[in-house]
Amino acid sequence: MLTVENVSKTFNTPGGQVQALKDVNLSVKTGEFVSIIGKSGSGKSTLLSILGALDNPSTGSIIVDDTEINKLSGGNQTQYRAKKIGFVFQQYNLVPNLTALENVMLALEFGGYPASSRLDRASQLLESVGIEEDQQQRRPTRLSGGQQQRVSIARALANQPAYILADEPTGNLDSATGKKIFDLLHDLSRSQKTTIIVVTHDLEIAGKTDRTFTLKDGKITTK
Amino acid sequence: MNVVTRGVKNAVRSPLKSGAIVLMFAISIALILSMLVARGSVLAKIDDVKANAGTAITISPAGVMGDQGGGDPLTAAQIATIASTANVSSVTSSLTDQMTTADTNLTSSLTLGSFGARQQRSAPTDTTGADPTATQTTRPAPTPRISVTGTTDANSVSTTGGTLTISSGTAIDGNSSSSVALVGTTLATKNNLAVGSTFTAYGQTVTVQGIYTTGNAFQDSGIIMPLATVQTLTGQPGAVSSVSAKVNSSDNVASTVTALKTALGDKADITSQAEQAATSVTSLEGIASLTLAGVIAAAAAGALIVLLAMILVVRERRREIGVIKAIGGSNGKVIGQFIVEGLTITVIGAVIGLVLGILVSGPMTTSLVSNSQNSTSTSTSTTGRGGRGGFGGGFASAQSQLNTNLTQVTASLTPQIFLAAVGITLLIALLGSAIPAWLTARIRPAEVLRTE
Ligand SMILES: Nc1ncnc2c1ncn2[C@@H]1O[C@H](COP(=O)(O)OP(=O)(O)OP(=O)(O)O)[C@@H](O)[C@H]1O
Ligand SMILES: [Mg+2]
Repeated sequence: MLTVENVSKTFNTPGGQVQALKDVNLSVKTGEFVSIIGKSGSGKSTLLSILGALDNPSTGSIIVDDTEINKLSGGNQTQYRAKKIGFVFQQYNLVPNLTALENVMLALEFGGYPASSRLDRASQLLESVGIEEDQQQRRPTRLSGGQQQRVSIARALANQPAYILADEPTGNLDSATGKKIFDLLHDLSRSQKTTIIVVTHDLEIAGKTDRTFTLKDGKITTK
Repeated sequence: MNVVTRGVKNAVRSPLKSGAIVLMFAISIALILSMLVARGSVLAKIDDVKANAGTAITISPAGVMGDQGGGDPLTAAQIATIASTANVSSVTSSLTDQMTTADTNLTSSLTLGSFGARQQRSAPTDTTGADPTATQTTRPAPTPRISVTGTTDANSVSTTGGTLTISSGTAIDGNSSSSVALVGTTLATKNNLAVGSTFTAYGQTVTVQGIYTTGNAFQDSGIIMPLATVQTLTGQPGAVSSVSAKVNSSDNVASTVTALKTALGDKADITSQAEQAATSVTSLEGIASLTLAGVIAAAAAGALIVLLAMILVVRERRREIGVIKAIGGSNGKVIGQFIVEGLTITVIGAVIGLVLGILVSGPMTTSLVSNSQNSTSTSTSTTGRGGRGGFGGGFASAQSQLNTNLTQVTASLTPQIFLAAVGITLLIALLGSAIPAWLTARIRPAEVLRTE
């Protein structure tokens, strides 16, 4: 269960204050697959980063399984990200100096997975998202966009997180590949009971999720 | 995969960039080491020269040097003042004179040469008339003269600073006033003198008590007699032309020189070996401070190179650091990874630099010292003017020995110096790696969302 209560976020910029989120309230049940849509600049990424403890809200609170994560110490927020959250980014954001396999193993290391079985688990995860053995040894620059996004999904799944937060995971992919990635996430939510929150501007994708929130100028307009 | 392997892997991520940093760092480390070696060797040399400079102070009547110059000799009262000055442990007084053919029946064993002839060009007309040519010319034809040294300690004539070598006969008592003499070996040979022979000096008969050898052509053609004897023979009772005072400890030389200058005022010229040594090591001291500046500059440059390079690396990888944090990497792991990366680069650079430093420190020390010594030897050769006559001889030779010593600074890499270099290197490496690594703590995980 994830609850957002009266969350506002204000950024201080040289040009003045930017209010990215205005008194946002929402709640997502465990195992639910929800989407957040909205125009560019409406605050989607900002909301997702606050849900994943990448950033703290200016006011309000985020309660995840009875823990108010915005009140956690920096170290505990890191632990929260490592164990409870799986991030999938629009830009894939794999570590360029590491192979596909090492990228997944990195997440396993941070999640406290025993060193001896990291390799097997990482290999298995990559296999399950359709990354073949020879591709696993490649660095991100030697993989296609779709392959990189699949590696990043494998990385997000590494520590069996309760929540997957995906920020436009198909935004940089062609529609066919995008659909494959989306189906992958969809299967996960069904099979693993993982709560998935996906930001998208693709209304077709949004229509397939359990629920869709619409953000407009930092405010939730529909639930 | 752990923090260490990631750090090392990142260090070799772009070999060209890392190679350039390694090379620049290595050069600064090599500079640090060779500067430390040069400094250590030069400082050791300075200590050596100062320790061996001796404790002798030479006091001459103002304006007099050996038999040259003019002025009044030192008086018995002044000698007493010198002897009673604090820290003066012993005093050797000498009076030198030169005998012309009128004063003695001996023939000089020195050939006059153009130098000797020039020295006598303004000598006063021989009033005795013994020289047959004197009546015919306004100026007598120059003749070689015989140097006579009256001294309270015959050993002071020794050119080595030690005991005078008596090849036959016995030493004379410098404090007596008997008509005895030590004769230089070449003078003795020239005049067929042996122990027990007699010769005439200033109208008196003098007995040869011993023959001495110094290996110095000037000294070996002279005569040494007790001070009082020479004072009486030359009609200068109590007069002294040079005093050598020994100070009880090298630490007291400077203060004793000051005390003597105060006591004797402008009546005397005072020089000490220690002062001369101090003057001759000033160039070495210059090198020592130069090398210290070099060490500091090279260390600062090395630290700056690593620091700036690593800061650039951190800035360049902001997003990647954000990713690592976003997927649950702690600050500690990120900092650790960057410290390992920085240390990998600096350790490789340090090893290359230290090897390079060992190779260049020898030639660098030699060139630093010999370049500066070229200017030193010209400046010291004016003070170390040779052929001062009599007592000055020993002093001049000590000076020239000092000069040769100065150019013999050998670069030696002691374990202490090597450890100091390693220590400085580690400090730079740690600072250069830790400060930039620390900066990663400030990078927010939300950085990952920034689209470039
Ligand atoms: N770090 C920041 N500093 C200042 N302003 C920011 C920052 N991050 C976001 N903003 C501002 O907050 C607002 C919301 O940004 P956000 O990235 O959440 O939009 P978005 O809905 O994700 O847009 P897009 O669909 O283009 O990704 C925008 O006006 C943006 O300029
Ligand atoms: Mg966005």
